[in-house]
Amino acid sequence: MFKFLKKYSAVIKMTWIQTLEYRANLYVGLFSILSGIFIEYLIWKQIFVARGTELIRGFTLNELVAFIFLSMIVGQLKSSWVTSIEMIDAIRSGGLNKYLIRPISFYTYHLMMFIGQNSLFYMAYFTLIAAFPFIFPGLAFTTNFQVFGFLAALFLAVYLSYNMYYIMVCISFWFHEVRALVIAYNIANIILSGQIIPLRFFPEMYLKIIAFTPLPFLVDFPVSIATGQLPTDMWASKFFLGFCWCLITWGIGKTLYYFGIKQYGGYGA
Amino acid sequence: MVRRYLNLWGSFFANSLTRDMEYKANLIGGIIVDIIFYSVQYFFFSIIYSYVDTLGSFTREDVMVFLIITFISDTVYMFLFSGNLFPLNRLVVQGDLDFMLLKPINSQFLVSFRYVKSYAIFSLVILVLMLLRQSSLHSADIGLMNYLYFSISFFCGLVIWYSLDFLIACLTFWFKNFTVGGWLSHELLKFSSRPDSIYTGITRKILFSLVPMALVSSVPARMLLYGLNVKLLMFQITISLSFVIMTFWVWKRGLLRYESASS
Repeated sequence: MFKFLKKYSAVIKMTWIQTLEYRANLYVGLFSILSGIFIEYLIWKQIFVARGTELIRGFTLNELVAFIFLSMIVGQLKSSWVTSIEMIDAIRSGGLNKYLIRPISFYTYHLMMFIGQNSLFYMAYFTLIAAFPFIFPGLAFTTNFQVFGFLAALFLAVYLSYNMYYIMVCISFWFHEVRALVIAYNIANIILSGQIIPLRFFPEMYLKIIAFTPLPFLVDFPVSIATGQLPTDMWASKFFLGFCWCLITWGIGKTLYYFGIKQYGGYGA
Repeated sequence: MVRRYLNLWGSFFANSLTRDMEYKANLIGGIIVDIIFYSVQYFFFSIIYSYVDTLGSFTREDVMVFLIITFISDTVYMFLFSGNLFPLNRLVVQGDLDFMLLKPINSQFLVSFRYVKSYAIFSLVILVLMLLRQSSLHSADIGLMNYLYFSISFFCGLVIWYSLDFLIACLTFWFKNFTVGGWLSHELLKFSSRPDSIYTGITRKILFSLVPMALVSSVPARMLLYGLNVKLLMFQITISLSFVIMTFWVWKRGLLRYESASS
């Protein structure tokens, strides 16, 4: 276990150093979130004014903006499409060989790389989140319980999301060109996981369908905990369900890799 | 000279089409990504309009036309420029820009138009047909003149988008390795994918002048739906001319800073 931690913490450190060299990523990432929330605020403000109402689906305008703000942060932290494209390229070009001849796991190595690459974002966004009770007083993180619940749910969301991307990566053993699939999933995910509109605003039929998918655990679950939209007595069952989705997606990824590696030629596409 | 450059672009297109046809999976993948992107945007506005009838002056049917125009802008941009401006950073960092500068043609033209994403033609045809159908179903009377004003405005919008993206890509000459240029452009583009009626006050002024993203799709949509607005169209032409002139200047300044490989 100690060896495992030592080995993979080195990967995090290495990517952390690389990430620090390109701080412009952080500035654009921040701009992305702030401009995104600004546009959503303008749209929803007009909707609230046009309807002449204080509440829509149980949200006031401020509550909604706070919810979307947090959703965008979580959405960006869980998205590992860049890492996934690199993994697909490794499979297509024969770059996977270097993982096969070394005592490292392709899956864990890239998971750690993803965490390392995102580390700068984690620090910046956690600063934003720490400032959250001051920016939106009483709208999120009102108790320590919510803070810990959010962190646990965020960890679950990041891991689950990585597993889902990994499944798509493994498909490239059979169909070499799956980058389009990853990009299409990433685009669809922005809306369908509730990153810019809370899932509660979606049509009932859509909600019934996605209740049978892991999508609600990617963004909506952590943010609902942070904002108190999810009653505390439902946390345990939701965490259990989320954990089950992690196991299922991990299992599918492992199985696909097991069979996929037998298809792998090692010479590139 | 114009004819010579048109012929040259024809050759670029033929070459790109041959390349794209070799990688059919890329071609199909690109079309799938486009379809997903359009569906997602449509879904977003469906949800928004399930809570409200109008966003400023844009009704639900107006927004459908606006959305198709946004998609057409995006597709035409993909077709002409997306394969060229994004790799500019790599060309500068690795020194491959040398090969472009050695050619006996305008280097900005070559850098901007060398590769064509031919698969976008399929989406473009479908989207134009959708626009014609949607505008024929629209409750407003959309005449032929509206299409003429729209075409002028659409062209200006495209020029503005190209110029802004090109200016951002050129930052690589100053920042040495500006890998986030594409991401930054994409983030700015978000402002053009929402109807201009949501922007008010200082934001509106900025989006109509300094960062004129509201002129990319919203103004062409207005020309098509509501007819000619001389002041707005003249303003759009002035802004697009200013921006394109700025690209000439910035490109020249950038090249002066270029030091070939690893500059």
